[in-house]
Amino acid sequence: MQVRFWGTRGSLPVAAKAMAVRDKIAVALVAANGRTFADETEACTYLEAELDFASAHSYGGATSCVEVDAGEGAFIVCDMGSGLREFGLDSLRRCAAEGHPREWHFFLSHLHWDHIMGFPFFVPAFIPGSKIVIHAGHSDAETALRRQQEEISFPVPFDWLKGDIEFRTLETGQDYRIGAVSVSLIEQHHSHLSYGFRFQDAAGTVAIFSTDSEHKIDKMEGEADVVEFFGGADLVVCDTMYSLADSVSMKEDWGHSSNIVAVDLCHEAAAKRLALFHHEPTYSDADIQRMHRESIRYEELTRGAAPLEVVCAYDGLVLEI
Amino acid sequence: MSGGTLSWQVEDRDGTRIVTPAGRVDESTATAFTERLIAEAGGARGKLVLDLSGVAYMSSRGLRALTLAQREGTQAGSTLVLAKPNETMREILAISRYDMIFKVADTIDEALAN
Repeated sequence: MQVRFWGTRGSLPVAAKAMAVRDKIAVALVAANGRTFADETEACTYLEAELDFASAHSYGGATSCVEVDAGEGAFIVCDMGSGLREFGLDSLRRCAAEGHPREWHFFLSHLHWDHIMGFPFFVPAFIPGSKIVIHAGHSDAETALRRQQEEISFPVPFDWLKGDIEFRTLETGQDYRIGAVSVSLIEQHHSHLSYGFRFQDAAGTVAIFSTDSEHKIDKMEGEADVVEFFGGADLVVCDTMYSLADSVSMKEDWGHSSNIVAVDLCHEAAAKRLALFHHEPTYSDADIQRMHRESIRYEELTRGAAPLEVVCAYDGLVLEI
Repeated sequence: MSGGTLSWQVEDRDGTRIVTPAGRVDESTATAFTERLIAEAGGARGKLVLDLSGVAYMSSRGLRALTLAQREGTQAGSTLVLAKPNETMREILAISRYDMIFKVADTIDEALAN
């Protein structure tokens, strides 16, 4: 199974400003200390080997969109954030180049703008012959998607889309099968609710997508259900937007979790890998990198048995699990 | 990761209660830790000092218990002050940013003086 991250930012799409790019170049030049490079490939080798991620790259700024690729069958996509635009184009490329079926199954964590804003720009929806199934725990998913394409918000009405679009409302406690992949969901604490999804392929590989989920301080006993849902997962993509202190003080009830609660839940669930996700839009690349390093350190400090690998999702990351 | 049980020592010094748990605050001890600390915060007046010198490690559940105890203390008119964290606890307080929402004293005397 492969998991591809097309959008990893929370709440609002962001982009690096001119000065941020300039500063990265300055760091690279100073670190090179007068060395010369024969070509861009050699320069990239230097950047990868000698600079940290935040200096030589960016975590990106597209909002939530994650592809779960089980290697066969329809496309499976979690959320329709602004990262969906690029995924849509790449999926069409794969349809043309690799003969991939023209069938897309979406699983929506919830219906807030940052998780659906990419759909009006999802090119396959405009193409006759595309089969698109939108799965959600919310029964009002169709209302949300139609509403954002009303004339006051967008020039192209939903009904103008030429693809075959179907909505399916899912229920917790059920196993659903999409080709060779089984899917189940769990209700999460968030404004208007959110849902986490558990994907399991035929080989037993498990990926969890759990974003926009606040683990309430006065309902810690309820985390046993989350631990069970995460149980033995090969990868947990988890909302780690805030520090724990922020999540229990100024940003309590904002519907998000912290990096260290995510580590604790994954430890309890004996998960193998955690992907930090739904990055705070005000965070710079350096801020996100620091949060990643601190999360790794917290995992080391609190590790009981098997280690948990902590990776930090960025736009363009591909994980083989 | 199980820490088994926590032991507690309690001292009243100059009208301030100092509680000293010992062990690991993890998923197996967090509930008892939470209940005991909330009870202490609800009964304290002025200040409750949590001596962390015997706490080897604390998960997010333990940290969140500190917040719940602080809220209980606020209702009762007390303030929770953390004291003498070991290096591991000091790192955990920094990573969680709990060192920005709680007073962390290096010594009991400093905690009592603040």
